[in-house]
Amino acid sequence: MDDIEAVIVMDDIERELGRDEYSEGDADISDDMSSKRTNSKLPVVNPRHVETQRTSSFQKSTRTCLGLIREALLHHSWQEAAEYMACFAQRLEESRNGPVVQEKELIWRISTEILHHHPNSKMEDYNNIYERMKHSGFKNYLMISLEHSFHLLLNGRVKDARHQLSVAESWRHGNESAIQHKKTELIHAYKGLLDYVMWCDKKSTINHAEYPDRLHNQDMNNLFRAASVNLKAILRSPGVWDPFILSYVEMLEYYDDHEEALRVLNDYAYDNKYPPNPNAHVYLYQYLQRQNAPDKKLMKVLKVLCELVPSHELMLEYSRLLLKSEKRTNIQKALGIILEMLDFACWRSSLDTWKLLEAIIKKLQSQCDWKDSVAGAMAARKDWWPALHFTRFHASRDSEENPALKKVKASLTQILLPGLMLKYTA
Amino acid sequence: MDEEHTAGYKEPCAVCAAVDWGISDEGRFYCRSCHNVIERTKEVVDPNFNPGNSRVTAMGRGSRTKRPERGRQWVLCEGFQFILRSQADALVRLGVSPRFKDEVLCELWRSFLQKSRQAYASNPVRPTSVGGPGSDVDSDGAAESTANSSETDGDSCNQSIAGSSSNWSEFSGSLDAVSYLSGSMRTSRQSLLSMKRTLALIHVALVWSREPLTLSDLLRLVNDGHVPYVNAHQELPDEMKLRGKDALLFRVQSIPSHRVVHRDAQALILLLQLPVFPPISRQSLLHPSLLSLRYLMDANLPDELHPWVCRLMERAGMADQTLYTFHLEGCPSLPRYDVQTAALIIVTMKLLFGLDDRTEWELSHQACDQDATGTMFSLRRWFRVVQAALTRAQQRRNQEVAGKQWAAQKLLHPDSQKTSVVLKTKRVTEQVQVCFEKLSGRPVSARRGDPSSFRFFWGDGDSADGPSLHQKKLDGVLTLKDGVPTPSNSTYWHPALSASQMCSRLYSDVEATLPRTFVWLLQLFCFLLDVRPAYLFQEVLKVETRVVNGNSRKRSRKTKTKT
Repeated sequence: MDDIEAVIVMDDIERELGRDEYSEGDADISDDMSSKRTNSKLPVVNPRHVETQRTSSFQKSTRTCLGLIREALLHHSWQEAAEYMACFAQRLEESRNGPVVQEKELIWRISTEILHHHPNSKMEDYNNIYERMKHSGFKNYLMISLEHSFHLLLNGRVKDARHQLSVAESWRHGNESAIQHKKTELIHAYKGLLDYVMWCDKKSTINHAEYPDRLHNQDMNNLFRAASVNLKAILRSPGVWDPFILSYVEMLEYYDDHEEALRVLNDYAYDNKYPPNPNAHVYLYQYLQRQNAPDKKLMKVLKVLCELVPSHELMLEYSRLLLKSEKRTNIQKALGIILEMLDFACWRSSLDTWKLLEAIIKKLQSQCDWKDSVAGAMAARKDWWPALHFTRFHASRDSEENPALKKVKASLTQILLPGLMLKYTA
Repeated sequence: MDEEHTAGYKEPCAVCAAVDWGISDEGRFYCRSCHNVIERTKEVVDPNFNPGNSRVTAMGRGSRTKRPERGRQWVLCEGFQFILRSQADALVRLGVSPRFKDEVLCELWRSFLQKSRQAYASNPVRPTSVGGPGSDVDSDGAAESTANSSETDGDSCNQSIAGSSSNWSEFSGSLDAVSYLSGSMRTSRQSLLSMKRTLALIHVALVWSREPLTLSDLLRLVNDGHVPYVNAHQELPDEMKLRGKDALLFRVQSIPSHRVVHRDAQALILLLQLPVFPPISRQSLLHPSLLSLRYLMDANLPDELHPWVCRLMERAGMADQTLYTFHLEGCPSLPRYDVQTAALIIVTMKLLFGLDDRTEWELSHQACDQDATGTMFSLRRWFRVVQAALTRAQQRRNQEVAGKQWAAQKLLHPDSQKTSVVLKTKRVTEQVQVCFEKLSGRPVSARRGDPSSFRFFWGDGDSADGPSLHQKKLDGVLTLKDGVPTPSNSTYWHPALSASQMCSRLYSDVEATLPRTFVWLLQLFCFLLDVRPAYLFQEVLKVETRVVNGNSRKRSRKTKTKT
């Protein structure tokens, strides 16, 4: 909602048509249109509205009003903005050709912005404005419905939000509903999500003594069915659907439909039609973890994640798994991964990471050519790792904040960067 | 808020006999002194009621659309007559003498109707069934209307109209709106009626009756709503139904500018072939010698400036009353009293102060240095005071423009088919407006001020726009030369003055080359008169031409160039 400032575009589409000859058509000598021809190469900014002799006083009134509203919004004087908005409402009404769609959108967005910030605004005001603006035109109907239901959701009125969406779902307006089908899909998806929220509410209220019956609770089942239809539908189209997939998987797990859950997660993670999304792999990993999948499978998932996001916190897990596996190549890989993690400044002070590095090195030391492997891994890093981790400043800071860390790091300095005189001493 | 809703209910309470009602939370009336609740409830308009949301579940049987109430047949000139009358009444209420309405305006209106063959003629132009204006229906009904124009005399015009009623209810409420707007009527444009025309008529009548209300004053009153214009059609009586194409004529979206109305008034005078106007002599308030007093006061300039304005007037040969009295041979263009007077004042100031961004400030410094008592007029002080007030006034005006409401209570739209859509948007608008009015606590229409001839109020009170400088002396800019006070400033600048050049130059191009003080002064007077700077600038050039090049009137008197 803070893009109001950017969104205000007022193309003056309404010109009085030649049909109406009673306009103020005086050929003003002092034309205000500055059509100065300059030789400047700079791009010319088109004025937002050009005031010509055909601008009626009504248009001038509403434009001035809009300018004042904008000033009030930018200065956060909400009282003033509300006053001017009341005057601006007439913009919807009078015009030769009827108000343009942009005006309605303007009024909708500005009104809601004012309501968000004004101290006296109440829920009825929101409902009022949303209902009115929804029905004042068909181009914005779906979007306003969606926003209305979001607002109700944020205020805890889940049932009302759901009701709004179901009304919006059944909206038909000739060609228009076909043109706006993407928005309709979105509405279906959110309705599914709301069904899930209600399902969660229901779940939390059922008595645990009824545990054997949990799969036969009628309301919950209905909600589940309704939600899954919509969620499944949206998950079929390419996109980023994190909250939807999580809710779907949670419900599927509850009903023990693991096949479907796995299928959905795998598609989400591996199918190329979805945009690359590291979260997809995280969700898949977490699910497999819950299902106690074998380490090999977990490692496979984490491998892909490693390529996507080398600094992810799950890389720690991955390294641990690799270390556990005891295979030589894996340990090498683990070293590489940990070092990559430490390349990022966010893990600089993480004791766990350094400790794991220490463990890996220790394991490596059981092999004979560990020095070479370490040197190989650190080859690219020895120029800048000292500055990254081992300066005198780091030394003093670590000894104050985290002495254990200092100990670990200090013990590693010589191993990682042999031969360099570092200021990082215990 | 309670008063609003309980205002109509004046019954005494059954328990305590007091008349002091309030509204409880449930909407019931209760007595405020004894808290007795009665059965009466407030009518509630439910803002959440949303008629568009529910589906149609029942089909009506038979035709639901009743024939709209016909009202009576009426023609356009009747409608405009009503509007003109209400405008004249408003002016009379504001202080114009009733002579203006009864004697002058009526006569002008009648003569206009006659000249344009809409009434009072032996064969008035009347519409036939579809819309051609050609067929003349013989009507003596129009000629025999002897009633005073200020009463409704439309019936007599109507009796002769017969067969044209078949189409009238489809397109418009009035009988001749369609033909009015058709092409053949429009070729003779001068005879058409429009809302703009009413203002032109009133202006001509005001000039004729020599009322001191100038055109800019009139337009200001219209703008502020003291003279009905924007939704004047609401004042028409109920039996004259406005519908459809009438909207194109009666619904206004703009207040016309000074230039436009002036031109229209000029055309009107030519159409009506009016004789010589009553003369505007030096004693009349429209003459620059007296009108300039008003503007000087409004602009917070010292009264001592006035004799200089008069002297300039005489030098330029503009004191003569024939210049201000419309006469087809002598003075064929309707003078623009307000703009000319303002131009005169500007030229006087230019003479005295230089206004070339240098001289006036030097003179002002000198005046301040010499001035021990604080009685001298200092341009610098004047500029600061007036500039502050001007900025505030411009901001206020901006806010008024933004808040102006144009919608009428009664619905009027050119396309009758779209009435339902228009009604719906009207409801939506009202709901949004009510919602925000409630939120901000300030109703939209509470903005009108009192009418006043002056834009600014200079004085010492709290509500003044600034301290008054009217009593200051001009000694700082004058020197004694041969015992006669003359301006100290000895130079005068002006852009190239030649008649042909004036029209082709754009003010916006020239404006960049003019001194800033001069431009600011133009803007000040433009704000006072509500005209465009280019308009005023043209007038200034005209005055300068007369001063510099000499007066080419009957008395070809060479004017000395200023020294």
